[in-house]
Order: sequence, then C-alpha cells, then structure tokens
Amino acid sequence: MPGRMSDPSDSLVPFSPDVRDPVVYSLHHDLKAPISRLSISWSKGNCLRVSFFGKKSSNSSAEGSGNSNDQIGGKVVEVKLSSEDGEIDEAQKRRIAYGSVSPFALLQSRKNSMSLLSKMSMGSSTYHVEWWEHVMEYSKDINLLLGSPKPLPSPVIEDPKTVLKAMEKPTCLKAAWELMEIFYADKQSQAWLPESLVDWLADYDNLLSETGTTVYSKLVDLQKELVTLQAVEDNPKYWEGISSALAVGWLEIVVKLLRLHGSYQLDQLGNRETENGLVEAVAVLISKMPRIRTELAVGRLGECYKTKPDFVKAWEKWRGQITKLECSAFWVQCDHRQTREGLKNVLQIMLGNTNSLNTVTSHWIELYISHFLYVRPFTMGLESMYSLAQKCMQLKPTSSTHRLMGLLLGILGENTEVVLAECSRSFGPWMVAHAVELLTAGSKQAEILLHEERYNLGGISIEELHRLVYAQILSSHALTWQIAPIYLTSCTKQGMGLLEILLYKQPIQHNHLLLKSLEICRLYELDSISSNIMKIAGIHHWKHGKKGSGIFWLQQAQDEVRLNRIAQQLFDFVGKSISDESFKQWEGLIELLGSEARTVGGLEFLHKYRDFKKSLQQVQDGHITDAARQAVESLILLMKNPSTPQRFWLPLLHDSRTGPGIEAEKRGSLVKLLNWSEHPLLNISQTNLLLNKLQELSMAKLHPDFIEADLPPHALNSVRLALATNLGRAFLEE
Amino acid sequence: MAMVAEGVGTLQIHRISQPKYIDALRWLSPLSAFERFAVLALHDSDSDVSSIEIQALNRSNPSNLHLQSSWASPARISTLRVSQIPQKPLVAASTYMGSLHFLFTDPVDASLESELSLAEKSFHAGPISGIDLQGTGSECVSVGEDGRVNLVTIGDSKLNYRRVFDSHGLVSYTAAKWASPAEFATGGLGFSLQYWDQRKPGGAVSQFKGNWGRGNMSEIVHSIDIHPSRKHILLAGGSSGTVFAWDLRWQKQPVLLSGIVPGETVVSPSESEVWEVQFDCYMQSATIGNISSGQILPVMMCSEDGILAVIKQGEQPMEILAEPCAINSFDIDKQNPSDLLCSLEWESIVILSRQ
Repeated sequence: MPGRMSDPSDSLVPFSPDVRDPVVYSLHHDLKAPISRLSISWSKGNCLRVSFFGKKSSNSSAEGSGNSNDQIGGKVVEVKLSSEDGEIDEAQKRRIAYGSVSPFALLQSRKNSMSLLSKMSMGSSTYHVEWWEHVMEYSKDINLLLGSPKPLPSPVIEDPKTVLKAMEKPTCLKAAWELMEIFYADKQSQAWLPESLVDWLADYDNLLSETGTTVYSKLVDLQKELVTLQAVEDNPKYWEGISSALAVGWLEIVVKLLRLHGSYQLDQLGNRETENGLVEAVAVLISKMPRIRTELAVGRLGECYKTKPDFVKAWEKWRGQITKLECSAFWVQCDHRQTREGLKNVLQIMLGNTNSLNTVTSHWIELYISHFLYVRPFTMGLESMYSLAQKCMQLKPTSSTHRLMGLLLGILGENTEVVLAECSRSFGPWMVAHAVELLTAGSKQAEILLHEERYNLGGISIEELHRLVYAQILSSHALTWQIAPIYLTSCTKQGMGLLEILLYKQPIQHNHLLLKSLEICRLYELDSISSNIMKIAGIHHWKHGKKGSGIFWLQQAQDEVRLNRIAQQLFDFVGKSISDESFKQWEGLIELLGSEARTVGGLEFLHKYRDFKKSLQQVQDGHITDAARQAVESLILLMKNPSTPQRFWLPLLHDSRTGPGIEAEKRGSLVKLLNWSEHPLLNISQTNLLLNKLQELSMAKLHPDFIEADLPPHALNSVRLALATNLGRAFLEE
Repeated sequence: MAMVAEGVGTLQIHRISQPKYIDALRWLSPLSAFERFAVLALHDSDSDVSSIEIQALNRSNPSNLHLQSSWASPARISTLRVSQIPQKPLVAASTYMGSLHFLFTDPVDASLESELSLAEKSFHAGPISGIDLQGTGSECVSVGEDGRVNLVTIGDSKLNYRRVFDSHGLVSYTAAKWASPAEFATGGLGFSLQYWDQRKPGGAVSQFKGNWGRGNMSEIVHSIDIHPSRKHILLAGGSSGTVFAWDLRWQKQPVLLSGIVPGETVVSPSESEVWEVQFDCYMQSATIGNISSGQILPVMMCSEDGILAVIKQGEQPMEILAEPCAINSFDIDKQNPSDLLCSLEWESIVILSRQ
C-alpha cells in the first residue's frame, strides 16, 4: 500500500494494534523431518501457498530403490484462509461485486460531468438537489443487489393463525446498507427518520435475535404455540406477544392477533359481548394510529400525516380516545381477567407509559423505537436521537454490541470516522468502498474529511484509500480482476500505477486471457502497456516453440529489436532444415508476415526467399521461361537487399543445386538458370553484382568471425564458374 | 423493412447466475419434446475443478434449471461441440491440456452413457483451440496453437486419429469448422483462413490472409461458421469487432460485415474481440428467398464488450443484448432457432427467446 507505516495512534486506516488470538492451522506435508526450508507466498484469492523443502538426501545413490516416499523432496500445500463473514458465501460476494460495477461507474461518470458543469459556474443549488437523487438511485441499485426479502414457499391454503410470514433471512450487509441509505442518501426521509427506523427494525429485528431475545423471537415462539392453543386469551404469552409487537409498531400483527381472541368465535359471541367490544375497540384504535410520515405501504395500518400541526391534532385526538376508553365503565363488566389486564396494558403502551414499554421490549433498539412511536414522536435531529439511544442502552444493557448496533451508534454519534471504521470492521472492503459515496453525499463535512489528501496516507484521500483496498481484493481473484480497473481508474493518485501493475501480472499464456487484458489497455488508452504485454506474450510463445504466435505478437507490438533477433535464429533454421517438403510448413508463417511494408524486421528476407523458392519450383514443374525469369528477379532482389545476411549469400546462390535434398539435378538450380539454353537470364550488370558478392564473401572468409555455410567445399567455385560462363554469354547477347 | 420489424419483436430474457465460470455452452436437443438441455462447460475457481454439466430446461419456465448429469473434466475446457443428430446426442470437449473428450448421452433424458478420451502427448502439444464435430458425429477435427490439425474418427468404443498437417508451431490455429464430409476450414492469427480437403493431402487447398492494415490492433480469428447450404462461404469473427465472409469463388475480396477498418463504411456493433459467430437461421425461411446467393445470410455475433447482435449485409446491425460484461459465447438452438443461450463473463448465463 502507498504511504508509510504509520503510528497506530495517528492512523486513519482502521487498524487495531491489539492482536487478536492467532488462528492456528495445522498442515500435513507427509515429509520426513527435518524440513530444511519453508516458503510462503500468496496464491490466488485467499489462498496461501506453503512450500516445504525436505532436507536433501545425502545418499543420492538411493534413487530408484526404496519406496517412492523417500524421494519426495518437497511438497506444496495450499491453505485457504476463510473469511470471517459467514453469512455470504464467496460466489454470492462475487455476484455483488459484479452487480455493483454498473451503479458505481454510472455514479462516477455523473460525478465527473457534474464537476465539469459546476466548473462552468452553473448554479450550485440545483446541483445539490439533483445530486442526492443520483446518489439515491445508486443506493437503491446497490440495495437491490443485496437481495430482496423473498417469502419462503408457503402452503397453498394460508393458516388463519399465521401471524408471522415465513421469510428468507435477510443479511446484515443489506441491513447495514439500508441504515446508511436512510441517514445519508435519502434526503426525503430526513424529516421522518424515526418512522424510517421503525420500518428498518421491522425488516431486520430477526437479525438481532442471534444475540438474545427480541420481539421477533418472542413472536416466533408464540406462533408455534398458537396452532395448538384453544383459548389463546388464557395464555399470558399471547398478551405479551401483542404488547411487544405493538411496542415496536407492528400494528398489522397486533390486530391480527387480537382478532384471534376467543370472543370473536360465533358460539361465544353471545355471552362475551362486552369483552369482544373492548377487544375490537382497541383493535380499531390501533389501526387508526396517527403516523408522521408521507405514506404507508399497502396493507400497513395507521393514518399518515405529512405536517406536524396536522399530526399533533390527530395525535391529541387519538390519545383522547384512548383515555376515554380507559376510563370506560365497560371494563367492570369484562369478566375475563387476562383480557382485561392485557388490554389495559395495551392501552398503557399506546399512551406511552415508559414502564410498560420497558417491560415488553427486549433489545435496547426495540425500546428506542417504542419511544419514537409512543413517547417522543417529534424527536428530531441526530443529537437528540443519540441521547435517547444512550438512555435506552442504559436501561437495557447488552453484553456484546451487535455489529449493526455499532454502525447505528456511529451514525447517530455523527462521527464519520467511526462509521467508516464500523463499516470496514464489520462489513468489509466492499461495503466501505461503496458506502463512501453515501457518506460524502450526507454532509459537506464528511465530504471534506473523506476527500482531503493526507500526508500519512501517502498523499491520497481516505476515499481513494478504501477504493484501492477494495480494488486490491478484486485484483487477487482470477474472476474479479477485470472489474478492478473500474475502481482503480476512479483513484486519481495511485490508481493508474496499480492498474499497470495489475495488467502486467495477468497470465499471457492463453490468447483469450491475453486479449481480455489488451481490451482493458485499449479502453484506458494504455498503449505502451499493451505493447509491453504483447512483447511478453511474443517471447513466451517463441520460447515454447510456437514460432508463429511468437512472431505474431512481436509484430503486433512492433518490436523490431526482438524481431531482428528472431530473424537471425530463423535464418539458421532455414539454412539448415528447409527442404522443399518442410517449406510447406513455412508457407503459413510467411503468409502471416504479410507482404505489406509493415515492421517485419529481418524477416522480410523470408518473404523474398519464399518467392524465389516458388519460382524455382515452377521451373522444375515445367513453366519454363517466365518462372525462370522471375526466379532470377527474386534472386537479384534478395542479393541486393541489405537485410539478407551475408552468410546466406552462398547458400542462396548455390541453394537448390546441392541443397539439403539429394536429387539436385531434378530441381531448378542456379546453375541451371545460369546455363539457360535459350538465352542468358542474367544480364551483365546482374552477373557482375553476383560476382561482386562472391568476391566480398571470399574476403569475409578471412575474417575470424565468419560463419561457414554448411555446404560442400567446391560450392563457391562451382557458382563462380557458372557465373563466369554466364557473363561470357551475356556479353555475346548484348 | 419487414425484416427489421420481425427483429424488433418481443424478447424474453432469463438471467441465471451460476456460482462458476462458464467456459463454453451449447444447446443439446434430444428426442424428447418436453424438455431441452443446455450443456455447460464450467470452471470452479475456488476449487479449480472443471466439469461439464447437462442442465434440463423447463420449456414453460426457462429460468428453472436442474442438473441432469455432470462429468468431471481433467482440465479446463477450451471448446465444446454437440452433434446435431437427435438420435445420437454426442458432446465433444477439448481442453487447455490438449486432450479431447467425447460424451455419449441418452437421446431421451440426456444422462451420460459413456465417455471416450484422447489424451496422448503426441495428439496435441498444449491447448486445443478449436474442434468441430462433423454432421454425422463420426469425425472430429481438432486444431491447436501447436500448429497441428488432427482428424479423430469416433468409433463405438475407441477413438482413432490421424494428423492432417503439422506446422511445428510455425502457424497457430484458433478455430475449425466442417464444410462438407470431406472439407473443413480453419482460422488463425493475422485473420488467416485455410480451407482443407481430405482428398488432397499435404496442406490447405486455399488460404486467405485478411489484410486491413490497422496498425497494432490484434487480428485473430476466434470463430468460424459455414452454412450447410453454402459451403463455399466461410464466415469468420475475430479481433477489433471484425466479422467477415470469405467466398471461395471470389477469393481476393472478402466481404467485411463488421469491424473498424479505415476507408470502409461498415457499421460495427462492437470494437473489441468477437468471440463467436454463427449464421442466424431465425426467420430465415421467409426471407431466404430474397437473399441472393451472392449475399451473406444474417449473422449473429457476441463480443468482449458485451454485445449480442445480428448483422445483415447492407443493413444496420441489430443489437439483441448489451451487457456490462463480456459475452463469451452463445448458441442458437438449431431445432428452435428463436431460442438463444449466452454465457457472460460474470458467472451467469442468459436464456433468450425471440418472439
């Protein structure tokens, strides 16, 4: 990571100096002790590769004898380090990573165009209004990825006694995201924060059941008993369930439970009329509870009031009705004690009796929510919400803090660093990298804090740091590395450097993967990296015997230096092994080199050589004069061309005469060309050129570095003789 | 215009996440009228295990896949082919290790019956990059980056192969496709195509080298298709959004259907690698009469930049899907050409139905 190692005290990176208990893994390597060397390196993803090297056997002659176990010199063991978060498996995590790419990229591009607009001095007020809408859209998209509560397959005929719908358990990650959304992104819900929290708890109270009793867990227990109970109202659990559900505002469940009361049964209605009237009156009052919010989903109970004065009016009236009912004379006529007491308790909850609320709720957040609903519906501002939370926690202390509660307290405490640290500690790098967008949208202060470049982070901002951390995690996995560039390119300081490293690290053996890397280079206009990668690939293929692929990639990279080096090696190969049969194999390679004037380095030679060979072939096949003329043309071109290496001159001139094949006379040979019966094919100047080259060659032979061609000793002389004869004939002709 | 209207019709899309990377996929159409099957070549990155799974698709609810049979592969699968004869459903898969595997399945329920493998060192050195099953399913051509072209004869209980050509790595091949029982085509680097005839041994009978001179853009053929009714036209898809057809009768002039080429006015649906091309036989019966024998039949392609599109010569390309990630392969159901299957880079498959 960029930046220096910092003192934990001034570190902004969530980093805990107190080391937790080390995790001990025991590895089996089946090697005989002692182990002489141990090497540990990261493999892909969370895999740690541990290599054990046994002590080198002093008795090397033991080879082949004894059992095979003795000969194992070492062993490599891969250790998969499991992540702490068990609620989401790896495949699901990758799915979330894939899905968040588009919303993230869209938000970044909007941010960029926004900042362009604001630079052009557009009105900044409209900018802010629109901006939180974009953030909200982003937040909703991400939220959708984290799963939507799916009802479990339910029996076709619904049991009338089912009060709790069986739902798939939501994840803490989703719950955490929604908390962030409520407080930072959703500006519309700012005026109704308490009600938003009521809804939030209704969705996620079951997550808190892991650590202790909750209203949800009480209701689950009650649900199980309901099926077997005959007269529910005799059971205190029934009344407890009603009171608890009411306290946290689950009005639908309360009303449904109340209507399971025995007095509703037709055969009892006659003698329990008053009792039933009371139950129904309470149920009606509950379903008419005034709520300070814009709307309620279909099927939800309560009456919405958007403005405070309207709400206050309705609230006073509602409370008045409750008080009236409480003082009613009908209670005396109600014979059923449990009903009477239960309903009275319900009324106390509705009137906001703090003692009652305290008894019927379990977790502090439930108490907290009940206060919003029945005691202080006008709680506004994070400060007062925070102090209320403190009070509730004192009343209902918990032994351990649930990670969602840690996050909530951080949010209420208006401490961006704490929120960030909680996100990172409990929900991992994905959460932090994506939630930063919500935090920065939340307040100007947070934005400044997160965007400020920091010396102790090596000059990058907290936002960039967390994106880089997340990108590193993506980079470490073969399936997610391709999305890391999206995050890296949004990091202005270190992103591009890390992207380059990432691209260089990718495997190049298979064209598919190589092309995927090159595509990323193309998208981000990293031409020099792409050509370097192609060079690496070219050399890899060349080394592994795939000459064609090697040359292809080096050509793509326009790497003249290496192509020329390769050309030298190819010449040796050509000089030694090209028979007419094997030349067929070269055709494709030469075809690949192309005829266009592209960088082919010294390989251009091969192309001309092919033409020469072809013409010679045709001479042999009987397409006489034209082909012979063409062969001579090619030969002259080859000899004139500076890219034709000197050591090739003699083999070329001599080539087909005594070439690697044996039946020399069958082929068209230079000598045959030179001794062409009809008329000489080479004119005086051409012959002179060739003679000069021969002369040069004889001189070069004296040089110590000269490489002798693999030809019979008389080759030079026979070619010289043929040339001389031709010269004579050419003189006569002209 | 009528053709365009047909294309715009409704599209049913089902996305199904797989917890594994999909290396290749194909439709498998058995005799059964009620069920259809998808053959998926999968790679589990966590355990590094490759497999072929045959999944049954419910006709009424295509997003409901259930595993019919599965086979563990010794290495990652590079190409997957399925024979198109319903009586003899045969799956052929080549691996990056250089081995070739044939899975014989039951014609009704697509359960695996037997398997034949070819994993000799002398067969291919390194990855096999392209295979194709002949129409009758009795022969398979395989090509590799090692420059070998092999023909495998599939018997009931054993496999035989013979080497058609070996360039000793001087030329690498990346794709193969049968044209007739005796002829097949291969493709490779530098937009090269080769046409081979088993009756004329010793090398390719025709060769083509695409030369659109575009600087340092890679030029590799990734996929070839040949329409059974026009075996003289080779369709090829490859780098830089390029899709072209090479008509053996007019060898000098390839028809460019898509691609960024200076001086050409072809509209290209994609600018990156075209991973697969197939002739699109959907709705063709009505329009095939209107297409002269010189014109190229409609072509479907998928690309690295997430495009699945149909290209018709001389018309605007028609986008079917635009994904945020690569579409690595697709297959058109030969029995029911309105139905498509695609694999996405992000570990999911898409089942499409054109109506």
